[in-house]
Amino acid sequence: MSGYRERAAFEIREQRPAETVTPIMRKLVADSAVTIGHLPNDARERAEGARAYAASHLEELHAVLRRRLAERGIGYHRAATAEEAVAAVRRLLGESRRVAKSKSMVAEEVGLTHALREAGMDVLETDIGEYIVDIEGRGPSHITAPALHLNRQRIKEMLERSGRPLESDDPTLLSRYVRDVVGEFFGDCEAAITGANAVIAASGRIGVVENEGNVSLGVSHPRLHIVITGIEKVVADEAAALAVFEVLAPSATAQPLTAFTHFLADPAPGQERHIVFVDNGRSAIAADPRYREVLQCIRCGACMNGCPVYRTAGGLSYGSPYMGPIGAVISPLIWRDGRYSDLPFASSLCGRCTEACPVGIPLHRMLLDLRADAVDDRRAGGRLERVAWRNWSRAFRGRRRAQLATSLGRIGLRTGGWLLRGRDEDRRRAPAAVARRSLEMLQAEPVALFEETTLAEEPAPNDIVALFQARAAALGVEVVSRYAEEQGDRVLEAAAGIAATGSVLLLGDAAARRPLLGARRVVVRLAADRIVRYPRELADRLGDGEALILTGASRTADIEKQIVRGIHGSERLVVVLE
Amino acid sequence: MGKLGLFVPCYMSVLRPGEADFAERVLRALGEDPEVIEGRCCGQPAFNSGFRAESKTVGRELLREAGAFEVVVTPSGSCTSMVQHYLPELFEGSRREAAGALGKRFIEFTSYVAGHPRRADLSFRLAGTVAYHDSCHARRELGLTGTVVSLLAQVDGLEVRRLRYEDECCGFGGTFSVKLPEVAAGMVGGKLEDVEATGAHVLVSTDLSCLAHIESMAKGRGVPLETWSIAELLAKALG
Repeated sequence: MSGYRERAAFEIREQRPAETVTPIMRKLVADSAVTIGHLPNDARERAEGARAYAASHLEELHAVLRRRLAERGIGYHRAATAEEAVAAVRRLLGESRRVAKSKSMVAEEVGLTHALREAGMDVLETDIGEYIVDIEGRGPSHITAPALHLNRQRIKEMLERSGRPLESDDPTLLSRYVRDVVGEFFGDCEAAITGANAVIAASGRIGVVENEGNVSLGVSHPRLHIVITGIEKVVADEAAALAVFEVLAPSATAQPLTAFTHFLADPAPGQERHIVFVDNGRSAIAADPRYREVLQCIRCGACMNGCPVYRTAGGLSYGSPYMGPIGAVISPLIWRDGRYSDLPFASSLCGRCTEACPVGIPLHRMLLDLRADAVDDRRAGGRLERVAWRNWSRAFRGRRRAQLATSLGRIGLRTGGWLLRGRDEDRRRAPAAVARRSLEMLQAEPVALFEETTLAEEPAPNDIVALFQARAAALGVEVVSRYAEEQGDRVLEAAAGIAATGSVLLLGDAAARRPLLGARRVVVRLAADRIVRYPRELADRLGDGEALILTGASRTADIEKQIVRGIHGSERLVVVLE
Repeated sequence: MGKLGLFVPCYMSVLRPGEADFAERVLRALGEDPEVIEGRCCGQPAFNSGFRAESKTVGRELLREAGAFEVVVTPSGSCTSMVQHYLPELFEGSRREAAGALGKRFIEFTSYVAGHPRRADLSFRLAGTVAYHDSCHARRELGLTGTVVSLLAQVDGLEVRRLRYEDECCGFGGTFSVKLPEVAAGMVGGKLEDVEATGAHVLVSTDLSCLAHIESMAKGRGVPLETWSIAELLAKALG
């Protein structure tokens, strides 16, 4: 099996991921910082607190959760290994043949789609990005944007190979083409599988976020809904879930919240709902104080968005369902057979991942610990390297020997290059050992200057209603004070609004997702005095049943990160302020 | 006690023998009488490669030597961070405390100069334009960006240009650039483009290791670029 270096070199040579990925990520990181800046300063700290509590009280929270889920009639299942997880899902699916699957990293981890297809089931990836990489067959290259490595031309070619000719490679057209394929499948599928972002122990509700509406279809359409997620995804209560959601979408995609934030409760009459919690090594991680904090991860991808190694060699070079810095940490912890022992070395240790992580995981420190583990277990560092370090440490024990070693190093560098170089295409050359030089270069005329393009952000209105209007409008929501009813409107009443994110909260029957998605236009009436400033203030307004936070219209950015509105569900969302 | 040490990192002796003279000149101008510590290493190369026992053996020698000094000025953000943050963790119990206390004696060269009580007595003057490369360890582990940039701003006649993507790594990463040369070359290629976009022909940084890496790509691509440590710049600005 090839290692990280071979895969990375191949990707860099053949696919040139940096050309697509770097500009997108530079913009995303800058936009994320702006979006996070719309929240109070303690947002990351609160999210970290919520996740740290969960990671250190896993079994306690599961004990409570199990009772709450039973009260709601939701099945609780626990799988120790990937094989057990697949077996549990297969058992729950029973005779179901057509299965709509939405995005779940844990499903990737246990190889669920593949296993179900092997068993003769017709499984469709319903997330647009997942649908595309499923056709490509090389797997996702990013945790939240699976098809990030593919540009529109490549995507068009692939869709045409599996489907019909398409008029253009416009992301709107491509996204809607996949939407239609997926929508048709939902028409007669028997079961849906989704992931989860925060399973709430105190109330037994399941928090799931999504943009496209395929999860909305999955949870409301077929008679059977199965959630597959890691055991660490539990959180204590609604406040903890909201603390996570406050930072999740800003860190992942620079959105204030995703289009849909679901709080799923009792299954509808005639429907069954189950959760399969996958351990697969997580209990062992929880028991190791050096790595426990990695279970705080909310799978936002901020660490890879900022990572220069990820940007340069792309997500596929990791060869794991989990890529980037978080992948380099959790892959060797989940798969202990050594297949990912070289991933912790795929980092220059610049520390940007740790800085970017919204839940305080010390990623680059963990990478260092994992390197030491790999060397201790003899899974990294071959015989030659071991001898080299032993001699190096001997040399630096004596000053004279060290000076000799230094001189040899200098000669080596001058005569051939030590920094350098595996292959001819590596253009780096040994730098000159310049001690004395003139001021010529210092005083040479500067030849170019980049244009300063940083946009000054509009100051946010302080008035809560004005803030709501501004943020909702930025998401393409029409905010009006009166409206004329049109045919096909679905008119609903909001239980609350969130100013900082431009969102509305729907409870109970209003949260019913099928009629919502089927409407030509969604009209939400919102009393101005029900607007709060931040998501966190909704903790005691979520009721006890189904709840749904709508933030802008259904959308996707799975093709070149370009936003396309109106995927499953109307592109028109009207809020009537009263 | 009371003595000032000037630690010459191992890679500096390899890459640019004589480089430490620049730091020494600036320290002397401040009225200090530094004693050079050479032939030692902070242990970072082995540490980052996962070879902790070897790292500890080597780092211990440096700490032992530091015992003779009150302050050890280190012209490298990377080594300073290693000694302060990571090396002590290789020891247990009371030894860890002792190593931590010794580690605290190390201070990065630029921040030592910026905070020196006689700093105001010196005037730096040098006409020209430089770009500034913010090393990851100086930036994130030591939080030095502001200190360095404001010290550079005090050099009369010097225009300092910031990189647009200043917080992105150059891809050196010590043994990283040796073990994953394809990735490291890709990273430094992007960094060099960012440097070129500033228009400056001299790049300065607290860390010579990053500079050597960037210069190696400039050389390979035929980009006219010199890389100077901040110590070199300040020494020349003394007149």
